[in-house]
Amino acid sequence: MDAADLELRQITYRLFVELGRGPSVVDVARALDVDVESVRQGGRRLHEAHALTLDSAGEIRMANPFSAAPTPHRVEAAGRTWYANCAWDAFGICDALHVDGRIDTTCPDCGESLTLEVRDGRPDDEDLVFHSLVDAAHWWDDIVFT
Amino acid sequence: MNLFRSEEHVDRWLRGRTPGATIPVATLAALAEAWWSTRLSPDWRPRTRSESQAILEGLGLTGAFWRLPGT
Repeated sequence: MDAADLELRQITYRLFVELGRGPSVVDVARALDVDVESVRQGGRRLHEAHALTLDSAGEIRMANPFSAAPTPHRVEAAGRTWYANCAWDAFGICDALHVDGRIDTTCPDCGESLTLEVRDGRPDDEDLVFHSLVDAAHWWDDIVFT
Repeated sequence: MNLFRSEEHVDRWLRGRTPGATIPVATLAALAEAWWSTRLSPDWRPRTRSESQAILEGLGLTGAFWRLPGT
């Protein structure tokens, strides 16, 4: 991963944080003052390195823990909201930002809304459990499913 | 990768599918902090698989389920 790709990654994350949503490839190209094709090429390299995840159209789908697509995992922190890719990533948004926050999700079994306040990295409801259906060896086989 | 009200809810949701792994939400919170806290750092660099595996093992997440590829 060279310096240009690291900068592309950093700008993508910065825009995710600032915008509260996933930036488009055009947004990233404008921020870097480069052409869109350069961003697409760099994005593909970062995708291969698991540093970003692109969708089938070449747009940014994930900059883990942030999700560009709506998910059942919503995080409110530092006066903004983001979608997380999964429950693990929902905590990860608070950790990446180093702030307290609130996670809104639902139990996939009963559909009950689950709301957790996260203070200093700790949830206020420790009765909940986390389940990963996919084992670690296969997390990146289909990261959107994982 | 989801949160559930309890292990009973996980079992019901699986509907006979092979279970993955279930851990307490407190362990998940600790894992997330170790995994993501440097993600926005200006000097961020990719972790090696061994470094990632060490994070899992440090939280007691061992065994075949938690074995990353290539480690």
